[in-house]
Amino acid sequence: MLYRVIDASELPGLIEAFLRDYEVIAPVRKGMSYAFEPVEDFSSIELDYPTTLTSLKKYYLPPRETLFRFDAREGMLAPYELTVRPRVLFGAHACDINAINNLNLAFDDARYPDPYYDAHKRANMIVGISCSPSSTCFCHLLESDEARSGYDLFLTDIGGRYFVSIGSVEAANILEAACNPREATDEDRRAFRASTRRRQEAFDEDIPDVQEIPMLMDAFHSDAFWAELGGRCLSCTACSAVCPTCYCFDIVDVLDPSGETGSRDRVWDACTSPQFALVTGGHNFREDGRERVRHRMYHKLNGFNANHGRYLCVGCGRCVRACKADISPIEVLRFFSEKGAEDAC
Amino acid sequence: MTDNANISKAPSVALIGLASCFGCQINITNVEAHLMEVLGQIDMRHWQLTSSEPMPEDIDVAVIEGAVTTEEAERVVRQLRERAAAVMTIGACAATAGIPGMAAPHYYARQQDVYGDAVPAIVSDIAYKPRPVRDIVEVDYEVPCCPIDPYDFVAVLQRALYGSNVYRRTSTLCGECKRNEQGCFYGRETLCLGLVTRSGCGARCPNLGRPCNGCAGVSPDANVDAARRAAERSNISVASFDKALEMFNTL
Repeated sequence: MLYRVIDASELPGLIEAFLRDYEVIAPVRKGMSYAFEPVEDFSSIELDYPTTLTSLKKYYLPPRETLFRFDAREGMLAPYELTVRPRVLFGAHACDINAINNLNLAFDDARYPDPYYDAHKRANMIVGISCSPSSTCFCHLLESDEARSGYDLFLTDIGGRYFVSIGSVEAANILEAACNPREATDEDRRAFRASTRRRQEAFDEDIPDVQEIPMLMDAFHSDAFWAELGGRCLSCTACSAVCPTCYCFDIVDVLDPSGETGSRDRVWDACTSPQFALVTGGHNFREDGRERVRHRMYHKLNGFNANHGRYLCVGCGRCVRACKADISPIEVLRFFSEKGAEDAC
Repeated sequence: MTDNANISKAPSVALIGLASCFGCQINITNVEAHLMEVLGQIDMRHWQLTSSEPMPEDIDVAVIEGAVTTEEAERVVRQLRERAAAVMTIGACAATAGIPGMAAPHYYARQQDVYGDAVPAIVSDIAYKPRPVRDIVEVDYEVPCCPIDPYDFVAVLQRALYGSNVYRRTSTLCGECKRNEQGCFYGRETLCLGLVTRSGCGARCPNLGRPCNGCAGVSPDANVDAARRAAERSNISVASFDKALEMFNTL
């Protein structure tokens, strides 16, 4: 990986350069929180945002996307067309870049090519930025606190300047043209090291660091804990709406008011929706909150590991904030931690 | 083939209003540019607002607005169920008893509170505790909310006419609300009924800065106890949570 350093004062120029050829998506203030939205200039971007209400997932898998239009009278399909304007996802934190890497693992399946997801993915350039953990962050416990791949540029704030990790030729050319990237000095490298250490030390130590989580998930599959946790689920699906790695979807046909034409749309679905596992004949494989919440946690902390060798959950903490019933992977980690303490007695 | 022959083959629809403000019926006309397209798919045999013809004998889809608040209304609902292949309700009043339903708890005791032992015959003979249509007869399709969304009405009507592969979820509202990225009222210690209200409206009130007041009805899968505890954690009393629910939902 190639590294360079730019001054903080050069960042507006970089954004201006992106804006000439790309749509720029960046964190902006939204009420009491933050959201990723298209921006028109550097000044509206919040570089120091803690987290956003929802993730960058919407730029890969929109909440609703038309797959094709049809004519119900003729039984005809209009040919598939999806062009996505090239865009820069600016200001992604490491957890969110890891989340996109996980989405890519789920969708890059040669058996089931997904041209829609692929069109979005090809259009997206990712510029990451360093962050300071907030009280709901636990990415470091799920191996997602560093973005090792999956970005075009990654900017680490080292005080008045940025340590820039360069991941693509396309982004390198823009950086070169818009700024005066220089070689890192020993002082820059020391500042980089100090910055990463400060971040490591800033995570909330009350969130327990648990080893062998996937194995513990299997070992405690039938524990009464799941009935308690799932029993308070509101079935609202807020968790999966804000989750950067929940990628389940439903496909629906929507008629126009004329009843003659319509569209086939892909919409977000959620395994915490009561009907998610309902099948023809009326059987529901996960009838209650216990089974649904447990299933969701299993996919995040166990099942994805079995197929892809990493946690699906990236510890971004959005569901911790979104769930009004206080259900989150942190509660699962606390449960395992308390079980460990009981056994030690 | 003449135009008349076409019309005679179109599914017949009857639209009846019970105890309500009639706003949902009016709102159907708000599909405006598409109104003639929609009417073109059906034989609008009976519309209480536009004709005084007697109700037809044979109906494909009976559309009912409003709560059942009198014995006569109950008879009408039963008659519609007998005559119609499908029964569809529109609006909160028909689905949950809605605004008229606010009077339902302790209804008969309240008559005596007001009139004492001398409850007038006009009251005791015809008025009875407000009920949703589904308490009287089986309902096949439902367009929720107060008022209904006119496009939602068209979609549900088409579901009745042609079928649909869209499965109506019982998830509550917050998941839809998050997509609008407006933050949560509970973070501002403000009561919002999205925690227990059935999704489907796209959380349009929260998206306009107003908390959900539950007009889509409490979801059959709502976890009301967990929602009450969530309210308490945001310094909102259970009593005020329950009181807010009364506007559209009698638990």
